[in-house]
Amino acid sequence: MDAIWIILTGTLVALCCGLLGSFLVLRQMAMVGDAISHAVLPGIVIAFLLAESRDSLPMLIGAAAVGVLVTVLIEWLHRVGRMQADASIGISYTTLFAIGIILISYFTRQVDLDQDCVLYGEIAYVPLDTWILSNGTSLGPRAVWILGGALLLILTFIGMGYKGLQLTTFDASYAATLGISTVFWHYALMSTVSLATVVSFESVGAILVVAFLIVPPATAYLLTDRLPVMLGLSALFGFLSAVLGYGLAVATNGSVAGAMAVAAGFWFILALGIHFIKKRLHAFPARRKLPESYI
Amino acid sequence: MCTKIFLSSGLFALLVVGCQAPAAEESTSRLRIVCTTGMIADAVANVVGPDVMVTALMGPGVDPHLYKASQGDLQQLSQADLIFYNGLHLEGKMVEILEKIGSTKSVIAVSDGISRDRILKLTHLGDTNDPHIWFDVSIWADVVAYIGANLEKLDTLHAADYAQRTAAYRDSLHQLHEWVRQELSTVPPAQRVLITAHDAFSYFGKAYEVEVRGLQGISTVSEYGLKDVSDLVEFISGRKINAVFVETSVPAKPLEAVVEGCAQRGHEVVIGGTLYSDAMGQAGTPEGDYLGMVRANVRTIVNALKGIDHANVSH
Repeated sequence: MDAIWIILTGTLVALCCGLLGSFLVLRQMAMVGDAISHAVLPGIVIAFLLAESRDSLPMLIGAAAVGVLVTVLIEWLHRVGRMQADASIGISYTTLFAIGIILISYFTRQVDLDQDCVLYGEIAYVPLDTWILSNGTSLGPRAVWILGGALLLILTFIGMGYKGLQLTTFDASYAATLGISTVFWHYALMSTVSLATVVSFESVGAILVVAFLIVPPATAYLLTDRLPVMLGLSALFGFLSAVLGYGLAVATNGSVAGAMAVAAGFWFILALGIHFIKKRLHAFPARRKLPESYI
Repeated sequence: MCTKIFLSSGLFALLVVGCQAPAAEESTSRLRIVCTTGMIADAVANVVGPDVMVTALMGPGVDPHLYKASQGDLQQLSQADLIFYNGLHLEGKMVEILEKIGSTKSVIAVSDGISRDRILKLTHLGDTNDPHIWFDVSIWADVVAYIGANLEKLDTLHAADYAQRTAAYRDSLHQLHEWVRQELSTVPPAQRVLITAHDAFSYFGKAYEVEVRGLQGISTVSEYGLKDVSDLVEFISGRKINAVFVETSVPAKPLEAVVEGCAQRGHEVVIGGTLYSDAMGQAGTPEGDYLGMVRANVRTIVNALKGIDHANVSH
């Protein structure tokens, strides 16, 4: 049963991250997950100073607030400041992380306070952290409920905003002529990403979230050029990574999150191989995703 | 296809783990005990004796701040009959999970066995206490008594056995406490200063009248500032202190900067040796248990502060 809960949790993270990550990869914002994982530090410190507690709830609220702030900052630097996407990500999260370190040095250097010890969950312990009702009935792991809720939110968001997200991702100027606000969809996507990632960090830790935001979507990107197929393949590779990763973790008695991230890398390399073979077979490729020098 | 292979390999591994269980169950009445740190496992092992399986999740050299769970740790926790942990936020977020397990089996924070007024506060903010309780041997003796009392309650069949072992081990802890006190009293009071990289030794300082100075705070991300270094250099050269100390689980680099700074001011201070702070030494070595770890730390500290070259001292 423990195995099923862990694989289910991994799969839920993979679905949440894979669906949102597909849009991030297409918008060249894939590293935003890693950026959020660092940037939440000042949020944690401020939440601690205000709540005077290291319990999960205040930490989660502080982290989520700064998580949204960093994505807004990234978008703003990119859009108004005319910075490249990677540069605006780099500027935003390093600055916020550094502010967090200064806050710790100044106010709380005597307190053990960082993402690892107050925010990041551990996927291996998910089956132990059950949601128990006041009458004693156990409803299964808390993380499954939280991540299930997050997935529902993401599915609703993508389902309702599919057209807007698609048009603003691929052809922003065409979207603008149709009266679709690119600014609105950017901020809406980024806020969803930051809430989903912070909630996932709290359940399963950072490495798995960062990996699942990028690697399964990138794998899917190699195999298709249609957005709905890419979303489906991202979800599929996320699921396969969770299953393969769990097997790997059991076989090596290693970190579950680490093994799932490695498994995601395995599927990516497999897809890369298929991609190269396909390219060889078609002397005149129908499409070019990247300039030749990048490949 | 691949998935199937890995799933079945996963199942196989589960079977292997499952097969190991009966071996431990043979002694039916005995408990399976899991502890978070090596220090707690050592204390529990001394209370229960060699017949009971006691395991530590964090092995030798593992910094509790940086501990990551492996697949096997989940098995250990779910199969355990009894779990002991430090508490006072040493285990970080894992405590929430331990408390959750506590609703179905006995999960005990050993720091609950210490009277509240002996626990050192870190700041005035909330319940931020110093978790490094094992550095005061007399406090650790209280912890052992608390572990013993809990075991006597939970396993009444062997209560007399536990009580006897607890008393014997507490005796050796009290002797150790006296020995540490005597050893440190041989260092002149002005020289009795323990300088380390991170603030883990407050309990030690309070118990044995040693002034304790750390370069950086407890949090692993808090960085030391330039002023911290220059203040410490000023302090060491002013007081003519012989040695500063490295910890097994913290990088030595920042202290090297302090040593260099002192040299520039014409005061020679050496790295007095390596102290065991958040984890014990390798199992099988003298420092692999609590008594040995404390003795090793105290010898290192006393010899270095007196200016005896620690390399030439035979233990």
